[in-house]
Amino acid sequence: VFSVHMVGEGSVSICSIAGKATSSPAENYLLARRRTLQVVVSALLTESGFESAEKAAVETLTEMLQSYITEIGRCAKAYCEHTARSVPTLSDTVVTLIEMGFNVDTLPIYAKRSQRMVITAPPVTNAPVTPKALSAGQKRTHPAHIPSHFPEFPDPHTYIKTPTFREPVSDYQVVREKAATQRRDVERALTRFIAKTGETQSLFKDDITTFPLIAARPSTIPYLSALLPSELELQALEETDSSEQDDQTDGENTDDPGADKENSMLPPSGVVPSTKASEDNVIDNPYLRPVKKPKVRRKK
Amino acid sequence: MSNEDLYHKVVGYVELTIFPTVVNLNRIKLNSKQCRIYRVRVNDLEAPFLYNDPTLEVCHHESKQRNLNYFSSAYTAAVSAVDPDAGHGELVIKVPSELWKQGDDLKVLKVYIEFSLDQPKGGLHFVVPDVEGSMAERGAHVFGSCDEKMKIFSCHRFWFPCVDSYSELCTWKLEFTVDASMVAVSCGDLVETIYTHDMRKKTFHYILPIPTAAPNISLAVGPFEILVDPYMHEVTHFCLPQLLPLLKHSMSFLHEIFEFYEEILTCRYPYSCFKTVFVDEAYVQVSSYASMSIFSTNLLHSAMIIDQTPQTRRCLAQALAQQFFGCFISRMSWADEWVLKGISGYIYGLYLKKTFGVNEYRHWIKQELDKIVEYELKMGGVLLHPTFSGGKEKDNPTPHLHFSIKHPHTLSWEYYKMFQCKAHLVMRLIENRISMEFMLQVFNKLLSLASTASSQKYQSHMWSQMLLSTHAFLKSISNVSGKDIGPLIKQWVDQSGVVKFFGSFAFNRKRNVLELEIRQDYTSSGTQKYVGPIKVTVQELDGSFNHMLQIEENSLKHDIPCHSKSRRNKKKKIPLMNGEEVDMDLSAMDADSPLLWIRIDPDMSILRKVEFEQADFMWQYQLRYERDVVAQEEAISALEKFPTPASRLALTDILEQEQCFYKVRMQACFCLAKIANAMVSTWQGPPAMKSLFTRMFCCKSCPNIVKTNNFINFQSYFLQKTMPVAMALLRDVQNLCPKDVLNFILDLIKYNDNRKNKFSDNYYRADLIEALTNSLTPAISINNEVRTVDNLNADVRLILEEITRFLNMEKLLPSFRNTITVSCLRAIRQLQKNGHIPSDPSLFKSYAQYGHFVDVRIAALEALVDYTRVERSSGELQWLLSMVQNDPVHYVRHKILGLLCKNPPFTKTTDSALCNEALVDQLWKFMNSGASHDWRLRCDAVNLYYMLFGLTRPSCLPLPELGLVLNLKEKKAVLNPTIKPELGVGAVMDTPASIGIHGVGMSYPDPVSLGVCGVGQPPQGLKRKADTPLGSPPEPGQILQQQDDDGRGFNTMEDEDIDMETVHDSQAFIHHHLNLLERPSTPGKHTHTHTHTHTHTHYIHVLKTLLIHGKEKLPFNRKKPAKPASGRGTHLPQLVGGEGD
Repeated sequence: VFSVHMVGEGSVSICSIAGKATSSPAENYLLARRRTLQVVVSALLTESGFESAEKAAVETLTEMLQSYITEIGRCAKAYCEHTARSVPTLSDTVVTLIEMGFNVDTLPIYAKRSQRMVITAPPVTNAPVTPKALSAGQKRTHPAHIPSHFPEFPDPHTYIKTPTFREPVSDYQVVREKAATQRRDVERALTRFIAKTGETQSLFKDDITTFPLIAARPSTIPYLSALLPSELELQALEETDSSEQDDQTDGENTDDPGADKENSMLPPSGVVPSTKASEDNVIDNPYLRPVKKPKVRRKK
Repeated sequence: MSNEDLYHKVVGYVELTIFPTVVNLNRIKLNSKQCRIYRVRVNDLEAPFLYNDPTLEVCHHESKQRNLNYFSSAYTAAVSAVDPDAGHGELVIKVPSELWKQGDDLKVLKVYIEFSLDQPKGGLHFVVPDVEGSMAERGAHVFGSCDEKMKIFSCHRFWFPCVDSYSELCTWKLEFTVDASMVAVSCGDLVETIYTHDMRKKTFHYILPIPTAAPNISLAVGPFEILVDPYMHEVTHFCLPQLLPLLKHSMSFLHEIFEFYEEILTCRYPYSCFKTVFVDEAYVQVSSYASMSIFSTNLLHSAMIIDQTPQTRRCLAQALAQQFFGCFISRMSWADEWVLKGISGYIYGLYLKKTFGVNEYRHWIKQELDKIVEYELKMGGVLLHPTFSGGKEKDNPTPHLHFSIKHPHTLSWEYYKMFQCKAHLVMRLIENRISMEFMLQVFNKLLSLASTASSQKYQSHMWSQMLLSTHAFLKSISNVSGKDIGPLIKQWVDQSGVVKFFGSFAFNRKRNVLELEIRQDYTSSGTQKYVGPIKVTVQELDGSFNHMLQIEENSLKHDIPCHSKSRRNKKKKIPLMNGEEVDMDLSAMDADSPLLWIRIDPDMSILRKVEFEQADFMWQYQLRYERDVVAQEEAISALEKFPTPASRLALTDILEQEQCFYKVRMQACFCLAKIANAMVSTWQGPPAMKSLFTRMFCCKSCPNIVKTNNFINFQSYFLQKTMPVAMALLRDVQNLCPKDVLNFILDLIKYNDNRKNKFSDNYYRADLIEALTNSLTPAISINNEVRTVDNLNADVRLILEEITRFLNMEKLLPSFRNTITVSCLRAIRQLQKNGHIPSDPSLFKSYAQYGHFVDVRIAALEALVDYTRVERSSGELQWLLSMVQNDPVHYVRHKILGLLCKNPPFTKTTDSALCNEALVDQLWKFMNSGASHDWRLRCDAVNLYYMLFGLTRPSCLPLPELGLVLNLKEKKAVLNPTIKPELGVGAVMDTPASIGIHGVGMSYPDPVSLGVCGVGQPPQGLKRKADTPLGSPPEPGQILQQQDDDGRGFNTMEDEDIDMETVHDSQAFIHHHLNLLERPSTPGKHTHTHTHTHTHTHYIHVLKTLLIHGKEKLPFNRKKPAKPASGRGTHLPQLVGGEGD
């Protein structure tokens, strides 16, 4: 039971179980690699002149090295897949290193440095066997017109339509029923929430929770909310309104040719009512005329 | 003063130009209320003045009288004392003696009055929402809150000194200085708008060249959004901020109304411009003034609203009709009011006929007729044209009423509404008589005379053509039509009451004659005897025949020969009145008689109530086959008494018939519910209307689910709304609402889906809640336990759940006019009343607060009034009464009193613990002095007092010990000195011109009021006055005079008062003197200085009125119209000329 659990935990637990008795080939394989990395780190430390290191420090450096190498691998694979290949090439790796900020030119010199330590090759362990993919159903054999050297068909479940949902209910009655229930539930939940979080009034003295009423709150301008349609309704209204308006403005232009002339003679000074400057051109209405500046008082 | 108060202030300046038409003009009387008058000058000379408003306090001394008869006569006397039509006024200005000479030469006098108005209680109404921001952002506005009735009530004296009469015409120049963010809308043409020098305010200059009476002048100031009518550029609409889209939609058809009136009257709209202003907290929905109308903002609606649309259009049509008759042409005297109301109501009716169709029009006429008949039979007659001979109370033409109809200010609101209703019905009767063509010719003639007169700038005596009197109207009718309508006028105009007919018939087979018997009841209250022609329509097998019968003194029976034989021709179609021929199933009818149905006065050409007896099958035939909606409606109400399967079938058929008028079908729903209840033990099949509703409005595949809403067909929309409401009235044998009906309604609510509808469903949902309310029946109470959630009936629980959800959702997504909240509040009250949930007023109190939408408040108040009556709660009654006194909205105050009258906590005939001395005193005080700023409210209070205590002394008061004796004594003692002025007045009356000379301003024709109001208890009056804290600011009614006047003016004032020796005045005299003494310590005097007031007024800075006055006010003599003044009036050419420049 214990081992199964360990496998499930994956690589995270590798460190913690290092040194313990291992039980599976995959585990062994990984541990061997890790141990090699530790040796490498130790060698590099020695090379740099350290005589001893705390275990925790070594572990940390190992971890860093491992993730660095992993990152190079992941990145190089990405580059290669980006160019529609499946195996990374040298150039992929080089680009990766450059991308990661590593000066590639220094690598040969570093590799040929004199004081480097030679470490033993990691012990040969069997690469872990990838478990067989779960096969479901019978694989199809090639039909006659496909040569046998072509790859086999994949498992049927990968291409056969397997419905996993029920047929949507299109029965009118049920739809209406559902919509009604849903709306009612939403409304009830919403009002209950508002009632719970705010002030309430109750119709019963003994029980204030069964039929909670949101408290009536006077508003400063009560007619606004009572008369104006809600935002949603207003949108629909504006759509119809604008089409009506167009008709009206057309009529205006032909309606009153005299007004235009009169209006243009007005002094342009003062404040023009901002809201409908465009319409004003054709309408002469005293309320739309600019407000005059006060005259300098004349002496009688 | 708090910051808020500063905003409720007006400082004004009035300039009147007077052309004396009499010599010895040394006093000028004007109307003014609640204004604080700083200074009066006549031709640059300081003039002393006296301010006395007897209506501030009607009965002066603390009498224990408390009976309504006494109050009414005192109140009438007080109103008469300041009646402008009789040449009286609150403000009496003494012309300085230096100018007497000038007056004798009939030279122009100019009167300048400076006044201010501080937090007015009536007349002008300020609405200032209590939110942050500038005044404009807050949507603050102010408007003349005078409505139609207030207008006849002439409330204009409430906001500026004037001659507050419809018969005093003059031209106007108006200037209003307001904050730069505001717009001042007033009568006449806006000439220009000019910034003040500091650029923070604007002055609006208006000129009204058409002679107009002061009550037709109004003003509205606010941060209005402006909309120029796209069809008529001279028409401008104003609404409060954010409402512009609604305004655009609501006004989009106004031009059609204009076109209609101009076409039928063949007369252009008389003013050069028209303005509509929509304000909040309006006094009434519609009020018209010269070239402008003020509406309630609640009339605005969006395109999604169905039910409000026709109502708004009606209001606009009413307002516009009054522009022609009421504003442009105004009444000669109060007694002629009916003509103007009648004509404007009549042409409004023509508009209804054209726009909404003949069915709607006839339905409306029937409704109005039923209303007036019901009112008159209940309350006594409504008199259109009262004549007051000699002004004596004895000659009161309407002794059955608890108020006087001598003045508009003393009328009950309800009575005035009925008065208008009757007026337009009588106009229709005249039309029936002389034909519509002649009728319109008369109107056209009146209008063209008036418009000719209005353009006569230099001849003000011509202006009397713009005033319409009963006499002139009748004369015009006889000139145009050549017909004598005297009897008609005598019957319906000079006389009150309606006719009550009872009809029955028998068919004489041998003679083939219909024996019709028509009896009348003319003895009970509100009825009168009718003698004259009456039309009877008989539908026989061979067709429909009209018969004109003559109703005479003693003949009851009328024989009408029948055309058809009773033998029926099989398969023959039956011709109807309109020429249509229909197949009928004649099996139901009496085999011996050819009569299908009979109608008495089918055209409603008599103001009557007909109770006619005919067999049930005849009513059913009438309902099915008579094409007149009025006949159908009559048949439906008659069928309520015949719960038979045949009636059921007839009603169901009508319900289904789509050609039938929708209001008839709606009425049929309710009748069907009643019949079903009466037939409950024999009823077959599903509950009434259920299968019908299912067929019409539910899905074909699943009949229990209603279709998603689509209200594009309005007829079926109204039917869909009404049917559930009527169905909910059904009861089973246990007298409960049938379970499947309740479930059906709950399903309608559940499945209601408005997502795809282009109209709002708020009214529909509100009606579904009403249906739930209707389904409620009284709870079975087990030994009076307290109502708790646990013992709630299962059905009621479902209902309550719906109501809770609806009410809560309304907080998040409010419906138009909060219709759903209104319905929910009614439902909750009904649940309380039926004992399902504990009776508790607190919820309603919170909804009745200021700050809720007015409809919601009224619904909550209605519930509270009901609670007060059912629970006999004095606490709630007090709460309501204090709201009547303190609420900021006039309409709400008026409505509370109206609701209390309709549903009184107790009446004069019932005993109640609520009826006690304190309540009597409270109401009395309110009527007496508390409501002096609002005529309507005062009359409402009088109504309530009448409803609660009757005309005589309330029974709950202790017997007046010696009070009565004392009073009698006082009366005698006081009578002697006061008789003199009364006689004096009587003598002077004949020569109206001399009134001005002697200045005997007030007459108290009623000896009772003389006695009681007399100097009976002067110490009390003194004491009361002395109680007034010296430091308190002066009340609006008090006098503030120019300070430098004091030394000299003091003495003259004393002299002045002596000839004003009326009983009220003696009291006022004392007040006045105390005021003068108090004045040094009164802080109010500081506000005299001009600069000071400037800093305080943010709204209307200066109201300057220049009146070019035709003549000096004279008591108008109705019998000799305008004669005394004509010819003598002169004009000031340079002024008029200047205007033309």
